[in-house]
Amino acid sequence: MADTDAFNKLELELRRGVVVLATLSQLRTPRYGYELRQALADKGMPIEEGTLYPLLRRLETQGLLKSEWKIEDGPPRRYYALNADGRKLLKRLTASWQGMNDAMGRLLDEE
Amino acid sequence: MNAHELIESYVADVAARLPRRQRNDVAFELRSLLNEELQGRAADSGREADPAMALEILQSFGRPADVAARYQPTLTIIDPVDGRPFLRLSTIGLVVIWSVGLLAYLWQPVASGGNIIGALSQWWGRVVVQSLWWPGVLVTSYGLATAARRRRPQAEVWTAKSVDRDQVNRGALSLGVVGIVCGSFALVRPSAILDIFWGGRAAQVATDALTYTEAFRHGAAPWMLALLFLNAPLLAAVVVKGRWSRTLRRLETLHGLVTSAVLTWGVLAGPVFMAPSSDRPMRFAMAVTVVWLLGDMVVRRFRGVRPAPSVAGGYGGTAASDG
Repeated sequence: MADTDAFNKLELELRRGVVVLATLSQLRTPRYGYELRQALADKGMPIEEGTLYPLLRRLETQGLLKSEWKIEDGPPRRYYALNADGRKLLKRLTASWQGMNDAMGRLLDEE
Repeated sequence: MNAHELIESYVADVAARLPRRQRNDVAFELRSLLNEELQGRAADSGREADPAMALEILQSFGRPADVAARYQPTLTIIDPVDGRPFLRLSTIGLVVIWSVGLLAYLWQPVASGGNIIGALSQWWGRVVVQSLWWPGVLVTSYGLATAARRRRPQAEVWTAKSVDRDQVNRGALSLGVVGIVCGSFALVRPSAILDIFWGGRAAQVATDALTYTEAFRHGAAPWMLALLFLNAPLLAAVVVKGRWSRTLRRLETLHGLVTSAVLTWGVLAGPVFMAPSSDRPMRFAMAVTVVWLLGDMVVRRFRGVRPAPSVAGGYGGTAASDG
C-alpha cells in the first residue's frame, strides 16, 4: 500500500514535469482545449481537463501562446497556438528534454 | 437539475472566484469545453448525456476553488522553506503567551481560594482569544521576508558563521558581571533607588511600592539574592576561560533550574511588594523570567547539532541485511 502511494506520488511528479512541454509541443498549429486534450491522449499523454484548460490560460498570460475565438463547424471555440516566444521556448525545452532523456537512458541502462 | 444546469452551476462557481477582467471569457470557454467533454463522454459510452454523467465529469474536473486557483499564477504568502519555522514559532509563542497568561490570571484565585472558573474565563477572553495577534505578526513578517527574497534573491546567498557557540565576548560578559553585582545591590533595597533620585523626599506611596513584604524577605528573597550573586562567579569564570566549558554549561543549567524553582516559589508564595500596584507586575516579571529560563534551556537542548551517525539508519540496515 505504501509502495503504491509512493509510486503514485512520484509518477505524478514526473508527469507534472512534462505537462508544459507536452502541451506546447501540440500547439504548433492552433487547437482548442478539447481537441488538444484528445490529441495528447491519442499520443499517450492524457492530461486531466482540470489541469490542461487552466494551463492554457496561464501560458497565454505568460506570453507564450496567442489565442482567438473562432466559429467553425460548431459552437464558438477559443483556439490556442504558440507565438514567437512560445516557439523559441519549445525549441529550448525540447533540447533540454532530449539531453535529460539521453542521460536518464544511460543511467537506467546501467542496470 | 439537468446536465446543462449542472455545468452552468459549476461554471458560475469557478468564474465567481476569478478576477473580474477574465471572469466572463473564461466562463464562456469553460462552459463550451465542459459541454464538449459531456458530448464526447456520451458518444464514447453510446448513450445520451445525463446528469450523472455531467456530475462525474465535474467532480473529476476538481473543486471550483481549486480550478479557479489553477487559472492564475501560484500566490505564495509564506515561502515553503519558512513553513516549519512559522509553525514552530507560532506554537512556541502561543504556548508562552497562554502559559504566562494562565499564571497571571490563576495565581491570585489559587493562593486566596478565589473564583478559579471566573479567572479561567477571563484568561480565555483576554489572553487566548487575543493571542491571535502573534500568528498574525508572524504571517506578516514571513510574508514580507518572502517578498523581499523574491525581489532580491542575491541577498540570500549563504555566508559562513562561526559554529563555536561556546566562545564568548569577554568585554560584553564582563559588563554583564558588573551589571549583576550592581543590580543585586539595587534589589536588596529597591526603595533606595528613590533616595538616589529624590534624596529621601519621595512620596510614602512610592516607597511602599518598592518595599518587600516581611513574608517575602524571610521566604524566597534570600535564596533569590544568593542565586543572583552566584551568577557573578559563574560568568567571571567564563570570562577568565574565554569560553563556556562543558562543566560551566552544566553549572549554568543547574543554576537555571534552581533559579526557576525559587522564582516559582516566590511567585506562588504571596505578595512580593507591599503595594499591589507594584506587586502584580513584579510577580508577572518573575513568572516571565521562569518561562524564559526554562524555554531557553529547552531550545538549547533541542537545537544543538552534534553530527553522529544514526544507530538504526535505513541505508546501513538495508545494506547489512542485504549482505
